[in-house]
Amino acid sequence: MSFGYNFKKITVVQPAKEFIDSTLSKTQRKTPTVIHKHLPISRIRGFYLRKVKYTQQNFHDRLEMMLTEFPRLEDIHPFYSDLMGVLYDRDHYKLALGQISTAKHLIDAVARDYARLLKFGDSLYRCKLLKTAALGRMCTIVKRQKANLEYLEEVRQHLSRLPSIDPTARTLLLAGFPNVGKSSLINLLTRADVEVQPYAFTTKSLYIGHMDYKYLKWQVIDTPGILDHELEERNTIEWQSVTALAHLKAAIVYIVDISEQCGTPIETQIALFKKIKPLFANKPVCVMLNKIDITPFEQLTPENQEMINDFLKTEGVKFYKTSNVSKEGIMDMRNAACDELLVQRVEAKLRGRQADNILNRVYVAQPKSRDEVDRPSVIPGNAPQLREEADARPKIRTERDIELELDDEYMLDLRKTWDLKNAEEAADAIPEIWEGKNITDFVDPDIMTKLAALEAEEEERAKSGFYDLGGEMDSDDEEIRDLAKVIRRKRKIRKLEERVDRAPIGRAALPRKNDKQLETNMQDLGLGEHIQRGRGNYKESIHRGRSVARKRMKHNDGDAMEVDGDSGSVTRSKSRNRSQSHVRGPARNQSGVRPEEVGKAEKLRKKAQKNINQDSRRGEADRRFLDKKPKHLFSGKRGNGTTDRR
Amino acid sequence: MALRTNFENSNEVGVFAKLTNKYALVGIGANENFYSVFESELTDVIPVVHTSIAGCRIIGRLTAGNKNGVLCPQNTTDQELQHIRNSLPDGVRVMRIEERLSALGNVIACNDYVALVHPDIDRETEEIIADTLNVEVFRQTVADQVLVGTYCQFTNKGGLVHPKTTPEDQDELASLLQVPLVAGTVNRGSDVIGGGMVVNDWVSFVGQDTTATEISVIESIFRLNDQQPDKVTGDMRHALIDSMVA
Repeated sequence: MSFGYNFKKITVVQPAKEFIDSTLSKTQRKTPTVIHKHLPISRIRGFYLRKVKYTQQNFHDRLEMMLTEFPRLEDIHPFYSDLMGVLYDRDHYKLALGQISTAKHLIDAVARDYARLLKFGDSLYRCKLLKTAALGRMCTIVKRQKANLEYLEEVRQHLSRLPSIDPTARTLLLAGFPNVGKSSLINLLTRADVEVQPYAFTTKSLYIGHMDYKYLKWQVIDTPGILDHELEERNTIEWQSVTALAHLKAAIVYIVDISEQCGTPIETQIALFKKIKPLFANKPVCVMLNKIDITPFEQLTPENQEMINDFLKTEGVKFYKTSNVSKEGIMDMRNAACDELLVQRVEAKLRGRQADNILNRVYVAQPKSRDEVDRPSVIPGNAPQLREEADARPKIRTERDIELELDDEYMLDLRKTWDLKNAEEAADAIPEIWEGKNITDFVDPDIMTKLAALEAEEEERAKSGFYDLGGEMDSDDEEIRDLAKVIRRKRKIRKLEERVDRAPIGRAALPRKNDKQLETNMQDLGLGEHIQRGRGNYKESIHRGRSVARKRMKHNDGDAMEVDGDSGSVTRSKSRNRSQSHVRGPARNQSGVRPEEVGKAEKLRKKAQKNINQDSRRGEADRRFLDKKPKHLFSGKRGNGTTDRR
Repeated sequence: MALRTNFENSNEVGVFAKLTNKYALVGIGANENFYSVFESELTDVIPVVHTSIAGCRIIGRLTAGNKNGVLCPQNTTDQELQHIRNSLPDGVRVMRIEERLSALGNVIACNDYVALVHPDIDRETEEIIADTLNVEVFRQTVADQVLVGTYCQFTNKGGLVHPKTTPEDQDELASLLQVPLVAGTVNRGSDVIGGGMVVNDWVSFVGQDTTATEISVIESIFRLNDQQPDKVTGDMRHALIDSMVA
């Protein structure tokens, strides 16, 4: 709402009982609950003091919120102030809020007193009694406000249902006797749907509708009918109308039923107008002589005609003969009323200071001609025509339609709008970068003519025999050919060599098919022990890892035993072969040595060990502990298990 | 005819589109809603082209143009330039210019005959503008704002300028541009005229929030729908004052 009040946002006012219950339960929930009598007395006092203070604070806050949220009649627009005065009884309202305020102060005072008393509490029991008394008194104070709280809740509910009338907005105000056609008129002018019934006081409160006129928003207010009697005798329903008439700066539309169908003679209606005329001071007033569809002006009795003619002479008032049924005169009346109000408002506003800021915006600067150049507007020929036919034309299929149709499949095709000489070229693939060069840098607008010229030249050359080959080969060519042959061969060899050098890691440089060759070659070199016959076997025989329970050997066992026996190693029985680790293959002192040199090698070995053995020195084959007590094995907690060197 | 529209919930129509008498450029959005508003209104009249400039969709602020040509900033890619060139009619020159103030839409405001430019723009740029767009170029400010393209919008028929432009400035500008001018707002009181709307000699697109009063001012000053600029001082004067003064 633009006018700054929001009566719909007032917090619900709880009835006294619920108010008390919720506050006490909050105290219970939000303050500590456990205390013991042996605790220091200061702590006991603090415990209860906190409860008292907390309860007081809660009551205080809730009451304070009510006082701030309910509008103060002095602070709001006089229209609302009077309307609330009428609807809720000004005195009652003020009294209720006043008493709530008093209650708030009383609760504060109770809390203050008992806080003081609690300082003298010398036992848990006494402190507790004081707290109970304090809370009890606060509750009693709130309980006494029962009626006020109920009343305020009613007011709140009613306020939140009041129409959002902006007292400062442009307004048309419909007034008149009951049943003259005010509600029918608001239904005609706006989209408000006010109940219309053929009896008096169908409309019991203010109704609001909105309409547009001259690019502006207008509110139309339908008021309950007013009867012709003294101000003091009016009832609440009529008073609402009077309030609106008195306080809203609006264009007044006073409706007179000249058919007297409403049950009130024309004379009385005119009398009422005269009576409430002071309320219309300084406001544009229109009088509608309504229901002319039932009784046209000419069919009125002469007395009535005369009376109305006298009435027509009233100064500053415009008259319209209208009918809500045939809608005759309604729009004239509305426009005139609105215009008059608008002029009045604008005059008032222009007197204010703010007006200077916007005067430049209602000013059209017209150009002074500075030269003789004509600067016509540029509108494509078919634009106005297309505009005129816009409604008749079939709806075009827009990109949006296509997008909705294709859904996820939709791809925006930028080239759709390309307007090329050869339309089919739009689909051509155009690379951004070609061989490291930006295509655009080489774009030549004359490329086609240049190409054509080149082609012509080429054709010319071909025609003139420029490309015809010579007849015989001469000796030079022969020489070149031989050289090329040599180069090709060399290149081939290089390639092969390279392949051997750069054999990939993890793959045999030589293919498997060369097994046989390898075997014979190695045996010729005296290195054949490793390679026993049979494919898988030589692989197994050179395996030197830890003991692995092996499958039965496939080859002739006797051979293997012989080898072992020859080398002087421990001869093992066949049964142990499976369970115990032993080094397979030839003895280490024989491996890698040619058979005829085995003896020599043995000699050399013995010689090398001679000195060491003589001094009983430690040899390289002896087991060694470089660190006798390695830290990691002797520190920290250890169980009974073994800690061995591994 | 002024149409309300929005670009992905933004009212700043003039940021995402550029409208001239010979072509319309529209930024590439997440969907085709915005494009299709232009498409359905302008198809068969002028080409409506999806465009990005340096990968951005704020093309209305980055480009400047009229029926004679379109100016793109230095950071436009070759492909984008090629695309614009291919899409626009042959009579329209497409030019990429080296200018420090690269948001050309903000620093240049033009119709088909006259251009207002930012006072700090390069001399060379000024010459290119004059040659490419075939316009007289004036270094000017609008309501003491240097960003003339942002704060005003004018066609061959009329113009809307920043709401704080004084009547004297308006007169001066009107005489330079040789079109009637009025100070006003778009999009419910926004003073960013150039950003908030696009207009050519027969149609206008404004933000969704534009009020009825603002639209009627726009329609009358740009003489859309056969309305006349003096409506602002005559018919509408009261409505304008009443709506603008609180």
